[in-house]
Amino acid sequence: MKSRTKRLVALFATLAMTASLLAGCGGGSEPATNDAPATTDDAAAADDAATDDAATTDDAATTDDAATDDTASAGDTNSTPRNETLYFAGQQWGTINDWNPFSTNSNNAMCIQQKDSSRTLIYETLFMFNLLDGQLYPLLATDWSWDDDTLTAMTVKMNPDAHWSDGSALTANDVAYTWDCNVKYESSLGLDFSNYVESMTATDDTTLAIKCKLDDAGNPANPLKVQQVLQQMFVMQKAYLETVEERNGSDKDAVKLDKMEDLVASGPYMPFFDDDQKVVFIRDENYWGQAASMWGKLPAPKYIAHVIYADNNAGQVALEAGDVDVCQQFTTDVQKLWEEKNLPITTYIDEPPYGQCATMPSCWMNVEKPGLDQVEVRKAIAMATDYDQIIASAMSNQSPTFKDVPRSTMNPTDGEQALYDHDAVKDLQFAGNDIDGANALLDEAGIVDTDGDGIREYNGTPLSFKAECPDGWTDWMASLEIVAASAKNIGIDIQTFFPDTNTFYDDITTGNFEICMNSPSGASITNPWGRCMQFLSSQYADLSVNWSGNWGKYRNDEADEILAKIPLETDQATLKEYYTRLNEIYLTDVPNFALMYRPELFYIVNESVWTGYPMKDDGSNIPPTDCTDGYGIAALYNLTLVE
Amino acid sequence: MKNTLRQVFHSPKFVIGFVIFAGLLLTTIIYPLIVTTDPLEMVGNGNFFKPGTYVSVKDAVEGSRYTLNIDAKASSIGSKISAEDKEAMKEWLTKFGGVAEADIDLEDVEGLIGLWEANYSEGADQPGLTASKKKYYVRLNNNIDGILSDNDVIIARENPETGELEESASIGSKEYVNTKDVANRRTFILGTDNFGRDVLTELVDATKTSLRVGLIAGMIATLIGLFLGLISGYVGGVVDDIIMFVTNMFTVIPSFVLLILISYSVGQNARGVNLVGIIIGITSWTWTTRSVRSQVISLRNRDHVNLSKLSGHSMMRIVLTDILPYLASYVVMAFILQISSGILAEAQLSMLGLGPSSSTTATLGLMMNWATAYAAPLNGSWWAYFPVVITIALIAFSLNLMNTGLDQVFNPQLRD
Repeated sequence: MKSRTKRLVALFATLAMTASLLAGCGGGSEPATNDAPATTDDAAAADDAATDDAATTDDAATTDDAATDDTASAGDTNSTPRNETLYFAGQQWGTINDWNPFSTNSNNAMCIQQKDSSRTLIYETLFMFNLLDGQLYPLLATDWSWDDDTLTAMTVKMNPDAHWSDGSALTANDVAYTWDCNVKYESSLGLDFSNYVESMTATDDTTLAIKCKLDDAGNPANPLKVQQVLQQMFVMQKAYLETVEERNGSDKDAVKLDKMEDLVASGPYMPFFDDDQKVVFIRDENYWGQAASMWGKLPAPKYIAHVIYADNNAGQVALEAGDVDVCQQFTTDVQKLWEEKNLPITTYIDEPPYGQCATMPSCWMNVEKPGLDQVEVRKAIAMATDYDQIIASAMSNQSPTFKDVPRSTMNPTDGEQALYDHDAVKDLQFAGNDIDGANALLDEAGIVDTDGDGIREYNGTPLSFKAECPDGWTDWMASLEIVAASAKNIGIDIQTFFPDTNTFYDDITTGNFEICMNSPSGASITNPWGRCMQFLSSQYADLSVNWSGNWGKYRNDEADEILAKIPLETDQATLKEYYTRLNEIYLTDVPNFALMYRPELFYIVNESVWTGYPMKDDGSNIPPTDCTDGYGIAALYNLTLVE
Repeated sequence: MKNTLRQVFHSPKFVIGFVIFAGLLLTTIIYPLIVTTDPLEMVGNGNFFKPGTYVSVKDAVEGSRYTLNIDAKASSIGSKISAEDKEAMKEWLTKFGGVAEADIDLEDVEGLIGLWEANYSEGADQPGLTASKKKYYVRLNNNIDGILSDNDVIIARENPETGELEESASIGSKEYVNTKDVANRRTFILGTDNFGRDVLTELVDATKTSLRVGLIAGMIATLIGLFLGLISGYVGGVVDDIIMFVTNMFTVIPSFVLLILISYSVGQNARGVNLVGIIIGITSWTWTTRSVRSQVISLRNRDHVNLSKLSGHSMMRIVLTDILPYLASYVVMAFILQISSGILAEAQLSMLGLGPSSSTTATLGLMMNWATAYAAPLNGSWWAYFPVVITIALIAFSLNLMNTGLDQVFNPQLRD
């Protein structure tokens, strides 16, 4: 009897294990067995490559073989050796739809992010932006300079070592042609920057001349935006672009819809595998950046992988299990991961706010709506809002408080904070949760509750507003709930409304909203000027479809004047004067108010496989942009395997 | 009637269900009389504070103190250093601190701490150590800093004139406070949620709301179902065909999908508690209609109905006096089930973010929604969702028990 039970148990256990194995491998053929030996072999190889610089020369010699070997032998693309793969979470949320930087609806987050800190895993930019010091670092280009003091023309020197994944040289002609295509096919980048950049032409293979658009007075339209294009625009191969044009008959829409699966790029990685479960990039062993003029070696992880998780919770479970190395997700009480669960997980900073905040999601009020056109109403809402509660609960303490970093148009980096006079606007600051002050302000303005329903009226209409943000953006949703709860205390009725993301963007770009929550731009070479534009410029208020900023359509002539002067101003003292005045306007008229500070990317790393991630005060000056964005990609070259 | 009631209360199932339900109902009525704080007040400045009593530190420091001869040092060392910490300290000391392994005795905590304080340095070269581990040692070091010293903790106040710190009290390791002496304290029996709201108070309020939604939904669904079923069954003919056509159509479309669509199109602005109840009610009447109709069809040819017809009674009167009473027990049972499913539907809707707005009301579904959104199950914050689940389960369980109990009483086939 006993032995029979044992046998039964054994049988059952075997069955269960087989079942779980099959389930775990997602039905992939020849599972685990293939993996085991591969892992040990490759471990040694990866270790060498990562720790030992000398190994790169060996590697380079054998690259071609290795590359072909890989594609041939790695029939099972579903599994890459764990200790050669850097796993991400929180970036890619669906099956990739294209690899096209011109596309207007690409969801390919891991590959295509042309922003202030562009994601340069596959396509590369001329320069990399470092949000820690606000400087441009060389990538495809080595140097740039204005031709003279009029700031109307710029010369960019290309790195002569740069070449494409197909081996051909990357020259200034490619850059010029990429720019022309961006303009010709009206990519969003082209549409934006063609207001500021007149032309890009190749003087020779390694020299690029950029001409600024001039305004009527002969001044450059905006030299800051011209610098921005250097860090933002992905450079593409001229020959490849011509192929794409040819197969689409140079049709504008067709080119933008091209999937570009056969892409040629210059970055350290190339597409390897993607489906609805995950996306994997493989290192280009022939990457030009291993030249001494650039990184001098290849990035440590051979594969970059992003499993497509159903939601944040699934991603967090994987992070805790060590299946994710770099996690770009908002995580409640992130400190519990190491304080209570003792996991080898850490963030950029060990204590609140845990990350490098670079932007401030704000509450934008539509000043064209009756009630919200009154400064007192806007200011009262801002004064009543309980910011400490938002930061502590909605943001789970992952933001500095407004006591630490007083409210302004500047993000909480030292560089921007130094650009305005804190003392000059001290008296204009509001601390939040000031119910008495807000009530007094409204009473004084004669905006009172006349019909006794607990809600104040302005010109006979009750102050009742709808505050919206996209559904599923939990920290924003919670923030708006707190705004609504605070407003209730001062007799203003705010209803929260969480539509799907598309509806939300429809609403805010067309001005069809009362109160909404949205982020201004984070760290950029153009900021804080660009952010001040988003807060205060009437230039955006006049757009019929407005993706740029100032969604509340606030107008102020003085602010417009100052904003027009800043890009042409180089004297630091004058700039500080300008910015201080802008902040006075911002805090007096309250066209919108920041609810919290927020990192551009959340950055939580699990050190069970890889280590050497950038940390605050480690002296590396690499920003915590998830090892992928802007100068943050330098982190990939410092990673090592955990001993 | 009296007899029926007696019969009903003899059914143990019904009684158990009734007691649970009445208990929940009474709690929602009595609890707010005792605890008068606003259930939506955001008390806690942070996410998910654990259950317990929170006392004001300032009061505790300033209040009267008692000296107890209990050695607090040993237990506070024990609470600050776990066995794993000791192992980790040993590892660091041997690897980077230059201490021989033989010199370290893990049993001798004070000795270990002494070695640690003598040798650990945050800035030491620690090759091969991950950043998370380095930070762990820094935290550990801060945690045990000064743990061995017998010095009192000094409480100081800032002199408003000079700006200097002046000692106002010192606290030794044997001094205690009686928590009853602390004026400012607050007990969160079930901790706080992601907004820092008291979960228990919120839960009671949410239960009340959910019961209200359930009652409204149940009443509307039952009334619609009953009305259509009576007409369709009694009148028959074309009217029956039309009503059954509509009913069948509604039966085929999954009512929850319909519910989502209607809730979505109404928009968050208008979605109050009552409206959500009404929406649920008007999407869940179909089965009541069908059952009532079939029962009416079997009743309408009975002798007493025919007699009434011959006596020239109006249709209204026949339906109300000759048919409805025979259906009453079924309708009551259907009503109970409708309440139960209405509550569940509200919870499901709110979980999807299509329920009432959370700044104005607490509902069971909304509590679940926020707890999941802020990853309470992953953080081990069971108090934020488990009591909610239990409450939903208890409501559904009690109502179903009552229904089964009634069924046994009224259904001749099930009678003992």
